[in-house]
Amino acid sequence: MGLSHLTLDGHLLESAVRRGTEQGASFCEARFFEERSSNIVVENGVAKTLGSGIARGVGIRVIVNRRWGFASTNRTTSEEVDKALSDAIGGAKAIATEGIEDAQVVNQKSASDSVTHKAKVSPDDVDPAEKVRVMLELDRIARTYSDKVKDTFTTYRDTVTTTLVHNSFSVRVEEVTPRTYAYCRVISREGTNLQTGIEYGGGVAGFEAVNRLQDEQFSRKAAEKAVKLLSAHPPPTGTFSVLVDHRVGGLFMHEAFGHNSEADSVLAGQSIIADKMGQQVASEIVTIVDDPTIPGNGHFVYDHEGVRAEPHMIVRGGVLVGFLHSLESAAKMNVQPQGSARARSHQFPPIIRMSNTYLAPRDMAFDEILQDMKLGVYLTGMNSGYVETQKGQFTCKVEQGWLIEKGELKDHLRDVSINGLTLDALKNISAVGEDFKMDSPGTCGKMGQGIPIDAGAPHFRIDGIVVGGRQ
Amino acid sequence: MTEDIQRMDLITPVEKATRLLSQKDLDFYEAFASHSRSVRVTILGKGIKDTGSSVDLGMGVRAYRDKGLGTAYSQSLDPADVERTVATATAYARVAQPDPFFKGIPAAPKAPDVRFLFDQEVTDLGIESVSGFAKEMMDAVRDVRPGPMCEGGVSVGSTSSYLMTSTGVSVEDERTVLSGSISATYRQGEDIGSSSEFEYGVSLADVDFGWVGKRAGQKAVEQFGSRRVGSAVLPMILVPEAASSVFFGLMMAISGEQVVKGRTFASGLLGKRIAPDWMEVCDDGRIAGAVSSATYDGEGVPTKMVSVVTAGILSTFLHNSYSAGIAGVETNGHAQRAGYGVYVGAGPTNVVVKAGQSSLDEMIVETKKGVLVTSADFTPSPVTGEFSSTIDEGFLVENGEKRHAVKNLMAGGHILDLCRNTDMMSKEGRTFGKGHFFPSMRISTIRFSGD
Repeated sequence: MGLSHLTLDGHLLESAVRRGTEQGASFCEARFFEERSSNIVVENGVAKTLGSGIARGVGIRVIVNRRWGFASTNRTTSEEVDKALSDAIGGAKAIATEGIEDAQVVNQKSASDSVTHKAKVSPDDVDPAEKVRVMLELDRIARTYSDKVKDTFTTYRDTVTTTLVHNSFSVRVEEVTPRTYAYCRVISREGTNLQTGIEYGGGVAGFEAVNRLQDEQFSRKAAEKAVKLLSAHPPPTGTFSVLVDHRVGGLFMHEAFGHNSEADSVLAGQSIIADKMGQQVASEIVTIVDDPTIPGNGHFVYDHEGVRAEPHMIVRGGVLVGFLHSLESAAKMNVQPQGSARARSHQFPPIIRMSNTYLAPRDMAFDEILQDMKLGVYLTGMNSGYVETQKGQFTCKVEQGWLIEKGELKDHLRDVSINGLTLDALKNISAVGEDFKMDSPGTCGKMGQGIPIDAGAPHFRIDGIVVGGRQ
Repeated sequence: MTEDIQRMDLITPVEKATRLLSQKDLDFYEAFASHSRSVRVTILGKGIKDTGSSVDLGMGVRAYRDKGLGTAYSQSLDPADVERTVATATAYARVAQPDPFFKGIPAAPKAPDVRFLFDQEVTDLGIESVSGFAKEMMDAVRDVRPGPMCEGGVSVGSTSSYLMTSTGVSVEDERTVLSGSISATYRQGEDIGSSSEFEYGVSLADVDFGWVGKRAGQKAVEQFGSRRVGSAVLPMILVPEAASSVFFGLMMAISGEQVVKGRTFASGLLGKRIAPDWMEVCDDGRIAGAVSSATYDGEGVPTKMVSVVTAGILSTFLHNSYSAGIAGVETNGHAQRAGYGVYVGAGPTNVVVKAGQSSLDEMIVETKKGVLVTSADFTPSPVTGEFSSTIDEGFLVENGEKRHAVKNLMAGGHILDLCRNTDMMSKEGRTFGKGHFFPSMRISTIRFSGD
């Protein structure tokens, strides 16, 4: 029932690149983007909205006279793409010559490839009525968990994204990626006390992702969380040792450190690790990797500059060993790009982004880490986070926590946030567990572009973290 | 953008869509199309990074049948895509289940135009001009102190749109917006001074790019020498930029279906005291020349000025037709439509907090020990009202004077405590986007987490 697949004349991009170089561009890139999506909203047992959408267009990027120009259109005719090319070239030429960062890109090998990520069960092959039936069942499980459940919201979304990149290095790559997600939010109530529990899942997959979440009873977990939070307390305030689960740990690695390792921030003087390559920036038990090649919501084979993705080692044994690169940052820092440039859609130029970012596991059991803690806070589940990379200060809002006293979990805590200084926090990681997990499919925002990412970690402990609350 | 300006015909495809929808045995339907053009210049590091321009157009369709809603959108107005979009929304409406709270979509009363929401001068700006504004901001940052590293940009754009519904709504809208923002970072050995500033408006005269750069630079220099402070319960002074998140947090919690369905901390507060009796807050979508103003809201209902907090009492929720139907009242024109992407919610337009009698200087002078917050986001959980926020930029105040910048500090509490414990409000303040107005405010006590 979805909108039919809209195709693009393959020669359109190729001829745009050719015309771009003929008109004086030293680099020209033409990128087609199409995203077909469908969604279902279930509220308290009623599938009240079904929706569908299609976004598509072409983005053109050029370097002319060492200046970048970019233009996009969602009218994919030859005439409109030509106009976008003229706008991009005209924009680059129009910038004043002083106060400009010189544009350059590293040379690429020519490439021609087409990648289609296979869905076991294509969302297009599942009847909307069947999708509704499955989501209603997930919603029912949450709704009937307890009489303290006030409201349930269970939503479904699938997308199929097609990206074609052509550029003047004779790179021509196409990647088709299905993504499927489900999300359950439960509001519980006891008197005037309202609490929320959230669970979610999915990633690069077809409808089988929802079947898996059904098996894991993810909506029941959301309800259980919401009901148990009714008896939780606000956290204590002050500086504590914190033990974090894979979701809080993944959020920390992404926000607190990952953004600092993006080479555009490094080159722009916005990163606290800009001058620390080869130096010890974290405890020696810390190894941080960003890897688009592994399964996860941030998985892809080619980035949006047509570079084949490879794993990116960022920190090994506490030492900073790499940044994430685009064609431009790789040229400016004299390294090879490993595929970290992505764009939200044709309407944006590719910029450096994380993919699947994680802290590598070590060998401690959860109980071992816990036993060492006389007083601290155990934090699980992520809500949101942000970082001021230039200052190295991060904030993570988490779902719930427990007070730790003498190696045991005590009071259940709600409305917990943590704050810290990135480099201090990384050096204060004092224990890393063995129980690695990565299942935090989310969207990371940067310069107005939301992009699919994932993050993970084993349980680990950080000393000297500020915990905020009202107690 | 001059040579590219051509009026896109939105009426023909929207009329085609509604004509097709009228043949589909639906209870209600609507079609909305928009076309926008924008030009931007990005600043990164020591200079301009790149330029960009984009054209965005599309159509969204909402179809109701037996109280079930089917939606579809497409970034194309080609006749075949309009037909596909209508067919998909209609088919989905037949699968959707009845929403027991849905009563209908609003009819079409007329209202006088809110003026000065479109400025031809903005649509005439080319890349040269826009990059000139970016350079003006950068130069102002450099004038404050040499050697800054910056991030930000300038953006100008125009949007035209057309909404047509089965209840007789037929609304065209045309608007412009331009904005400038920059963050400045200076280094002094290991010490870092960093801050940011922004401004946005409808017309070229609304944004002083030199001022934006200068303010960002000055604020960044003030952040040198930041230090940790200990956990404590202290007064907190918020400048307008920080105060805005308190009021936006409150406004979001009193908007739309979530509040009338009892899902926010504000659901039971209508008619109750939430602030001192001198506090007045209104929401006014009809301020001429303001970015957040409009003649009609996202459903084609005339916008209006509503008093939200009257003498400290919460006097209304902000409604679209859906939430108004649940509450049994008339919509007050706060439907918000996120472009052609078909979602229609509810929320504030221009939030105006009545100025007080004090001043920011008086608040500092009268504080023996406290924290002056110049940047922080106090937006709470909409369900619980609790917040736990980092003080992104602030200063320790001791004996009536600003001592030093703070770092690694959080504040936590309930947003209603912030409102109820406000003991001073300044007579001066800042207007954002030519519509929102927030004074500085002092909260008598709040819990800080630090060393």
